[in-house]
Amino acid sequence: MLETVKTLRDMPKEEYYVPGHRTCAGCGPALVYRLVAKAAGPNTIFVGPTGCMYVANTSYGCGPWAVPWIHAQITNGGGVASGIEAAYKAMMRKGKYTGERPHAIVMAGDGGSTDIGLQALSGMIYRGHDVLYICYDNESYANTGIQTSPTTPWGAVTTFTPSGPAVPEGKRLWPKDNAQMIAHGHPELKYLATASPAFPVDLFNKVRKGLNAEGPAYLHIQAPCPKGWQFPSNKTIEMAKLALDTGMFQLYELEDGKYKMSYMPKERKPVEEFIKLQGRFKHLKPEHIEKIQNFVDQKVKAIEIEIAALS
Amino acid sequence: MGKKRLISGVVATAEAVRLADVDVITSFPIRPYTGIMSELARMVADGELDAEFIHADGEHAQLSIVYGASAAGARTFTGSSGVGVTYAMEVYSPISGTRLPVHMAIADRTLDPPGDFGSEHTEAESCRDQCWIQGWAATPQEALDLTLLYYRIGEDPRVLLPQYACQDGYFVSHIAGEVEIPDEGQVKEFLPPYKNKHSLNISDPMIIGAQIEPEMGPPLQYQRYIAIQEARKVIAEAYKEFGEIFGRKYSPFVEEYMTDDAEVVIFIQGAHSVTARNVALKLRNHGEKVGVVQLRTLRPFPTEIVRDVLSRFKAVGAVDNSVNYGIAGDGGVLLSEARTALYGLGDKTKTVGFVGGLGGEVITMEEFYKMYAKLKEIAKTGKVERDSYWLPYEL
Ligand SMILES: Cc1ncc(C[n+]2csc(CCOP(=O)(O)OP(=O)(O)O)c2C)c(N)n1
Ligand code: SF4
Ligand SMILES: [Mg+2]
Repeated sequence: MLETVKTLRDMPKEEYYVPGHRTCAGCGPALVYRLVAKAAGPNTIFVGPTGCMYVANTSYGCGPWAVPWIHAQITNGGGVASGIEAAYKAMMRKGKYTGERPHAIVMAGDGGSTDIGLQALSGMIYRGHDVLYICYDNESYANTGIQTSPTTPWGAVTTFTPSGPAVPEGKRLWPKDNAQMIAHGHPELKYLATASPAFPVDLFNKVRKGLNAEGPAYLHIQAPCPKGWQFPSNKTIEMAKLALDTGMFQLYELEDGKYKMSYMPKERKPVEEFIKLQGRFKHLKPEHIEKIQNFVDQKVKAIEIEIAALS
Repeated sequence: MGKKRLISGVVATAEAVRLADVDVITSFPIRPYTGIMSELARMVADGELDAEFIHADGEHAQLSIVYGASAAGARTFTGSSGVGVTYAMEVYSPISGTRLPVHMAIADRTLDPPGDFGSEHTEAESCRDQCWIQGWAATPQEALDLTLLYYRIGEDPRVLLPQYACQDGYFVSHIAGEVEIPDEGQVKEFLPPYKNKHSLNISDPMIIGAQIEPEMGPPLQYQRYIAIQEARKVIAEAYKEFGEIFGRKYSPFVEEYMTDDAEVVIFIQGAHSVTARNVALKLRNHGEKVGVVQLRTLRPFPTEIVRDVLSRFKAVGAVDNSVNYGIAGDGGVLLSEARTALYGLGDKTKTVGFVGGLGGEVITMEEFYKMYAKLKEIAKTGKVERDSYWLPYEL
């Protein structure tokens, strides 16, 4: 059992995601990775599908992990982790391995979790593998140069959704809600939560709860990306906090069939406060922002209704 | 000594997997290889085999799961047919590049379209350059033996490469033949436990598959390139020891049939070689100097052996049970490889291609008679009118 903590000071000093990578300054996913590795500790095997957390971490043939790590394709993080888990199960049962059973964690991007690798994720959870699957959501296919992914917000500009006279708003689709998709159709799921680097203790504890759960767990962690969202690199945590305060992203957990909100702003700020600080939205007109506000209002309401019903 | 049973190729393969004491199996349904998995599922349910049996969410997932399992140190088994084989294409190179000796059975099936259950080598051959060991079994007995041989060859520390053990759909997979099932003691002697020195292990943390700079890639590819070449030596050794332990002696790369004084031969792999042999025998009874050269190992291709063998004849007909649209010579892989192997020896040995048995049709005895007649004509006149003939339309 991994203990949960009350404050930052209770977290172990040891790092398992160490310096020596070349992610952008202020990279949200890298900050998240550090916390995840710290929470998981030494008895962990990481699976890293292709994306920034593969490419920018392992350039030059080495990587910043003090625990075993293996590359997976962008398509198959869930599959590779299923295999690792099954191998240890079989080898331990057959006496071919006698040590402690390692935790398996997938750290996959939003593209690798909600789009091209969604089937592998769903299959892994459906089959009940004891794996913690984490989607670090930087809201784009970042590593290939910021292209639209299913979690890229409506109205955001990416290199595949530019804004122009014929398409003034940029991206024209509403984002996919992976956490809700996973939560609703997978009876083997043992734990699910959303998290944010704005609340590191909460994030740390959710990782541990996911690992303690005997069976599949899913964390969806929003991870602001200074390059893709176009904000200064010292504003990552501020962006993460604003996303929560405006309702663009919400923190909750689903445990034993019960939902719990992890953070509720006392008063929700208008989405404009989040949007106006990011270059990806700078082309938006007031009517566009209003559309986003309506969407967020409805989403927040829907989650609150759901949580009230299931808590 | 093992016991004899009358079983099909899929059941024979499952028996070999049980004997190999595999730890992780991944399945997804597609005919005709499915029979292997239903037999294995039965064995697991009946307690005859202790393995994790995972119903994967597709062939890509099958291969992804065994990639992870093999990296963690487990002995793995998977398989597929037809479009299932090509659906998993992305994962073949990561598996061989990570040097994981994953084992995959392929029972051949035509690629779509047309939606056809027939057997063709096309799907398996389309993966031939992914640095997997690859060859065809022509009978259920060979299917069992090839499975054990390939685990042994692939897991050899000098090789560490995955393997495609192929068998023709239906002709081998679903027609029963007499199969001697070895006993466990023999298998233990032949196949030591799988030891992955570079596994995902918390007591020795390792980073597997890191991104690298362009100039760091070729050295790794070069190691793979050498590994599959060096595998030729290990393949020969393994077949030799196999013969000593199990009493079945195969020629590891090419099997010659009635070739001693032959003038013309059919060059072929897989189940249709059995028909070719029957026809050769009949023609021999009429005094014709004909034979069969059966290719056992497609990858690594036994270039020198094929060159030495085929160059002894006046004419060689390469029979391809596959479609390789637009390939040099408009035949198939076997024609192309035979010609490459013979390159530089002058024009002494004439080569011609025959594409046959498509859609799972049998290559009839009649067709083999026609092929031998064409080869005889070529040997006599020294003239090759065209590179290839598609049977039955063009011959
Ligand atoms: C099958 C396949 N298609 C496309 C790519 C190219 N590719 C590499 S990284 C990447 C972006 C991944 O996006 P995401 O999963 O969100 O991770 P991020 O880069 O944003 O961290 C893509 C599309 C690939 N590696 N494999
Ligand atoms: S592009 Fe974004 S996710 Fe990728 S390394 Fe830079 S900040 Fe991190
Ligand atoms: Mg992303």
